[in-house]
Order: sequence, then structure tokens, then C-alpha cells
Amino acid sequence: MTSVEKIRKNRFIAPIFNSLESFFFGSDESVRRAPFIRDAIDLKRYMFFVIIATLPCTLAGIYLYGLRVLAVIGVSYIFGVGAEAVFAAVRRQDEIHEGAFVTCMLYALIMPPNVPLWVVAVGILFGTIFGKEVFGGTGKNIFNPAMTGRLFASLAFPDLMTKTWLLPVDGNLAGGFASWVSDAITTATPMTLFQRSGDIISNLQLFMGYFGGCIGETVKPLIIAGGLFLMITRVANWRIPLATIISLLFTATILHAIDQQAFAPPLFHLLGGGFLFAVMFMVSDPVTTPASRTGKWLCGILIGTLTVLIRTFTGYVEGIMFAVTIANMFTPLIDYIVLGIKYRVTPKGVI
Amino acid sequence: MTGLTGEMTHALVVCFSAIFTGNMVLSYFLGLCPFIGVSREIKTAFGLGTAVVFVLTFTSGINWAAYHYILVPLELDFFRFILFIIIIAAFVQFVEMIIERFSPLLYVNLGIFLPLITVNCAILGVSLFMVIRDYSLIVTVAYGFGSGLGWMLAIVSMAGIRQRLNESRIPYGLQGPGITLIIAGLMALAFIGFSGVLQGR
Repeated sequence: MTSVEKIRKNRFIAPIFNSLESFFFGSDESVRRAPFIRDAIDLKRYMFFVIIATLPCTLAGIYLYGLRVLAVIGVSYIFGVGAEAVFAAVRRQDEIHEGAFVTCMLYALIMPPNVPLWVVAVGILFGTIFGKEVFGGTGKNIFNPAMTGRLFASLAFPDLMTKTWLLPVDGNLAGGFASWVSDAITTATPMTLFQRSGDIISNLQLFMGYFGGCIGETVKPLIIAGGLFLMITRVANWRIPLATIISLLFTATILHAIDQQAFAPPLFHLLGGGFLFAVMFMVSDPVTTPASRTGKWLCGILIGTLTVLIRTFTGYVEGIMFAVTIANMFTPLIDYIVLGIKYRVTPKGVI
Repeated sequence: MTGLTGEMTHALVVCFSAIFTGNMVLSYFLGLCPFIGVSREIKTAFGLGTAVVFVLTFTSGINWAAYHYILVPLELDFFRFILFIIIIAAFVQFVEMIIERFSPLLYVNLGIFLPLITVNCAILGVSLFMVIRDYSLIVTVAYGFGSGLGWMLAIVSMAGIRQRLNESRIPYGLQGPGITLIIAGLMALAFIGFSGVLQGR
């Protein structure tokens, strides 16, 4: 028996080995049963596209907040993929699904840059195990695992997750690539600043992202570019993001018209916080959002409206986190109702 | 805002906060047994939810009258647990007869859980909360209605999720109540987002 065959026989190493092999060398398997779909894209490329789309945000995160960002991403990968590998071994699955790589990447990008690394580990473990694996793995999850992990971490360790934020690295052209971690600390992101004192920073500054915030959420042009890339390659659907953005602007405009002082202007809601990042990379996730077109519009409207309401009326400035999870929770029900109305049985037959 | 208008606004606020902020299942963890037991199918979950909304709305009103016009004048308010349960039991019996008469299919599907509405803690909980928080009649009925709607929303969405999970490979030890409790926990995490909205007391 050659060493490669030995590895293939080992229950615990095989999933990792096989997934690395197919990741780098592609797959030579052929499908034996229907459906046979001829397409250049499969699950691996699907997930790989998402990672490509997030790369600009990752580089921007490193440039702004320092090389420590890489450590956050690394810890997220070690624990997330590790948990996935254990489940794959216990289930006697051939390989780790690529979904894990995307989850770990997105999760790392929505963490604050100065968060303790053990919090990163706890959050991604919770997200992977309770958000995805207990439901049956990639493609079967009800809740978005990255968002679930973030939600758990920020509710379990509120002080560590929301008290302090890093300001971007100052000075030279190399920015964060030349230093481990930015040493300027602030206590407020633009969102918290508005809630405390009503101060609003300019839309241009919000758009360019030169302020304190989560690793990947600040630089808007790169996020939009990544999102558009996903939509053009048809990995993500354009309906939900569009519905979410329209309903957010609509709700925010109404509130702003009622009281200009108390409620933030719509553009501030659109560009502030993690809204755009979540819309482009999490709301557009095909697994945890409705499959039907009408359902997609309904779900988007739910997310946009809830985001503004939660941001405005509660102590949580990051409404999108809760809004996405609540929308995930209602997704099967929305699909059931929409399909039930569309394909109802009438005396003339099924329409 | 005085008198009736103020009262109606208060009732509306209490109703909405009972659906979202103070959801019976997801923030007080009341009424968990039928929530886990009858959430396998959307149709039965919806039926039970409707029954709970109906029972809650009426028993909260009747209990309010019984408390304020019988127990308080007689200074017997420590009897409220017994009296509330008796009224709830009688009312549930009444609902059971109606459902058996008009929808035998729903009656069979709900099975043991229909009489068990009597011991659904959410229903006694609403009556007790209304005493503690000193609600007026209109507010109490609105609170009962809102709590029922919140409970129904939770159980119907849970049933939707569980229907979708039918084809999933859930670990053997977690099938049934295990995964349901995990989902309920995740739903409660999401509903924390509403805390602070419309703090209607």
C-alpha cells in the first residue's frame, strides 16, 4: 500500500487530504445518477468565487488595521475548518465541503480588528457547529453560520466586541502592511457616535471607509465591487440585495422626514456600519434565503425594514446582524407560503 | 392623551411589545412543551397557534374580571392561581368541543395537545403578568392577544424550519426535541435584537 492509499484509508485525515487535493487539482469524479447538468460551475467554484470577491475587502482590512487581521483570519480558519473536519470524520464523509472556507472568511471579516483571538475561536466554533453542522452541513443550514457566530460572540462578550475599536494605521504609504496592529484606539464607530451624540460624519468619509469598524465592513467601493462580481457571475442573486437596499432607504427616509434630529438620514444608514457588507455577502446567500422570486423580495423588504427599526429604537447599533438572523428564521415559512399560493390546487388542477 | 385615547395607545404598545420584545416563547420561555411537541407541521402548528390566540384573548379578559370583581373585593387574591386555572380549563374544554364539532381533522392532529393548552404556561403566565403589571381591561385583552400572536409566530416559523429539516442529516442524538431546542435557542438569540423596542409595561 502506498502512502497516499494509507492516507485515503485513514478516517480522520482523509477528509482534509481529499478536500485539499480537489481544491488544488480539481475533481476527476463523474456523476452516475441524474440530474446531469452541464455547467462550468460546481460547488467548489461557487464557493471559490465568494472568496475571490472578499479578497479586496481583506486587503483593505489589513491596510487599515495592520497585520493582526491575518491572525484573526488564521484563527478563524483553524477552528472553523477544524470543527468541520471533525464532523466530516465522524460522519465518514469523503471531504470537507468548501462552504467552510467561505464561512470562516466572512466571519473573520465581520469581527472587530482588535478582538481577542480566543473570542474569534469561540464564535466560529459556535457558528460552525450550532449554525451549520447540527443541521446537516453545507447547504442544509437554516441560519447563516458566519452571522450566527458573530451574533453569539457579540452577545456573549459585549465588552470585548464593542467597547474599543481601532483607528486606521497612520502615516506612511505601506499602511497596515508594515505594522502588526494599529495603536490608535477609539471608543466609537460612526454608528455608536451618532447614537450617543447625534454627530454624523460626511458621506464621502463613510464611503471611503477611513474610520474605526469591523475588518471588512468599512471600505465601501471594494465591497460593492465584490458584490457586483458575485452578481455578474450569477453566484449571488440581485433581487434580495436590491429589495433590502430599497426598503432600507424607504424606511429611513420616512423616519428622517418625521424627525430630522433624532433619526439618521437614509444615506447614513446605507453607508454606515456593516449594512453593505452583509447585504452583498450574507443576504445574497442562496441557502439561507427564500428560493422563490416573490419570497426573495419579501425577505429583502423584511431585512431592510428591520435593520432601520433595530438600529433606531434599540441599544444595538448593528441592526443588520439581528435582521439577517430573523429573516433566516422566517425563510422556510416565506417559501412555504409563496409556493403554496403559486402552486395551489384548484378544481381545474394545479396552477 | 388622556382617558380612552391614552388607554388605546397603551394597549397597542403593549400588544406589539408582547409579540416582539416580550415574546412568550423566545424571551420568557413559557409554553415550551407544545412549542416543541406540535411544531412538526405548519398546518397543525397554525391550528394550535390559532387556538392559543383565541384562548389567550378570552381567558385574559375573563380572568381580569374575575380577579377585580370577585377576588379583590373578597380579599382572596391569593386564590388567583386556582381560580385562573379553573377558568382556563373550562374555557379550553369549550374550545375543544368547538374544534371537534367544526374541524375533526384538526382535532385529531392536535390530539393530546389540545387539552394540554390548559397547562400551557404561557396562558397562566399572561393572567399572572396582568395582575403583577396592574393592567386595565383593554390593555389586558390586548396583551393576551399580542402574546398569543407572538406565540403563534414562533411556533409557525419553527414548524417551517422543521419541515425543511426533514431531508437533512441531523446527528442521531439530536433528532426531534434536541434540534428543536437548538433552533429555539438561535431564534431567541435573534429576538434579543428587539429588546428595548416599545418597552410597553
